[in-house]
Amino acid sequence: MEAKPRLLTVLDYITAALFLIAVGLVFLYAPLEAVMGNVQRVFYFHVAAGWVGMLSFLVAAIAGVAYLLRGNRKWDTVGLSAVEIGIVFAFINIVTGSIWARPIWNTWWTWDPRLTTATVMELIYIAYLMLRQGIEDPDRRARFGAVYAIVGFLSVPLTFYSARLFRTIHPVVIGTNDPNAQGQFNMTPKMLQTFMFSLLTFTFIFADLLWHRIRVGRLSEKVEQVRLKTLQ
Amino acid sequence: MIPVADQRALEVGERQAVRENQLAGFLRALSAVVWKDLSAELRSRELLSAMVVFALLVILVFNFALDLDPATRRQSNITSGVLWVIFTFAGTLGLNRSMAVEKDRGCIDGLLLAPVDRSAIYFGKVLANLIFMLVVEAIVLPVYSLLYNVNLFQAGLLLVTLLGSIGYVAVGTLLATMAVHARTRDVLLPILLFPVVLPVVLSAVKGSTGFLDGLPLNEIRPWLNLLGAYDIIFLAVAFMVFDYVVEE
Amino acid sequence: MFLQEAPADTTIYMIAGYAVIFTVMVVYLVSLYLRRRNLEQDLEVLEEIGEGDS
Repeated sequence: MEAKPRLLTVLDYITAALFLIAVGLVFLYAPLEAVMGNVQRVFYFHVAAGWVGMLSFLVAAIAGVAYLLRGNRKWDTVGLSAVEIGIVFAFINIVTGSIWARPIWNTWWTWDPRLTTATVMELIYIAYLMLRQGIEDPDRRARFGAVYAIVGFLSVPLTFYSARLFRTIHPVVIGTNDPNAQGQFNMTPKMLQTFMFSLLTFTFIFADLLWHRIRVGRLSEKVEQVRLKTLQ
Repeated sequence: MIPVADQRALEVGERQAVRENQLAGFLRALSAVVWKDLSAELRSRELLSAMVVFALLVILVFNFALDLDPATRRQSNITSGVLWVIFTFAGTLGLNRSMAVEKDRGCIDGLLLAPVDRSAIYFGKVLANLIFMLVVEAIVLPVYSLLYNVNLFQAGLLLVTLLGSIGYVAVGTLLATMAVHARTRDVLLPILLFPVVLPVVLSAVKGSTGFLDGLPLNEIRPWLNLLGAYDIIFLAVAFMVFDYVVEE
Repeated sequence: MFLQEAPADTTIYMIAGYAVIFTVMVVYLVSLYLRRRNLEQDLEVLEEIGEGDS
């Protein structure tokens, strides 16, 4: 097995440190929001997780294009790893979105464009895995995965746009005082700093996890190769 | 010796002839694929009858599941919604069967051996699948109109239905070609297709509702634009990646 | 406009939110770790078998 690169160890430490600082900022530095109270603190990691979800999708699509053009199986591993991480963080995004919605709008779900798009993205990710699971030939599996990652990625902005168009034409009154409530609040400088720092932290988390997951993927392929050779 | 200027003219002429030949070859292959599917269907009528019967049954189920009073039932958003649910599910049926037949009978291999651009095969399949879907829609629309006393034969609504079907079939054909290789092929296609084709369904429903309500065109136009953009984008993308999907 | 009320007490939702975030991330990290460990064990076993044959 490949030895763990020193750079990865360094990245691990940096990421862990950033994460601790981010948590500190969220709970101790960022002020209490005037109307929503403490639940607003969920916003920082909720959006950051959503950001990672989208970043993963982009990486998966790029890896897909790279695989189709180059045929190098490494890109397939990158794509699969990105999708897996995307599933995890899009899930966090959706659930925290729901938890945030509950006290603010008195509902567990709102079909607002961002939440809708995040859900659709999650479903496409899962469909990607199910597609791969059903194909036996590794090369075909990689090719199909690549194609679906590309197609899925391109559909997401269109879904977002159509959901937003739907919303502007049919503003939904979500049972609270303010009929235009979209969970908006004014961000004070401290909030903005916490927010940006969270985005940075989660980007590092993404890179770190991606690298680790790719290594696991390569190990898995190696085991497969050895298995085939040994059982001959 | 032929003078240089004439030589150049000859080369240009040759290149043009080659291009025209390629285009002719492309169109011939495309129409061959379409004709193969259509004539096979005319003979057996398995696919269309399955889709049509399924669509009619869905209307029946909706009638009782959404037991709405006549006034509500004729509301434009209900009509559009029910219609597109029918088209979506019947469309999946058609796509599945269309590609499964190809694979099971090894037709794809035969087609691939032919010295034509793979994209001709893709566009041929898209056109054939589109025709099937349009035939089903051509049957469902009058039936629905009669049952619920709604006039669905407005130019705008038909346009929306066409644009929506094109987008649906463009992506659906590509995904069906992939899904058919999986063990779970029948159930996999909807799982792959529905999240990706959402913008089409949404826009088609809102566009249809707009036309049924008689909204001014510039209010409906964003939906039409979205449909058009989706159709173009995905026809182009599918055209580019289809090669990778069918290679062995 | 309305009076300046005190912010709503939504602490419990904040806790729920962060519980989800931490739990899911930890579960994923653990799954990565376990997968790696299993693969390394598989590799050892396979290499032993390989040596046994030759």
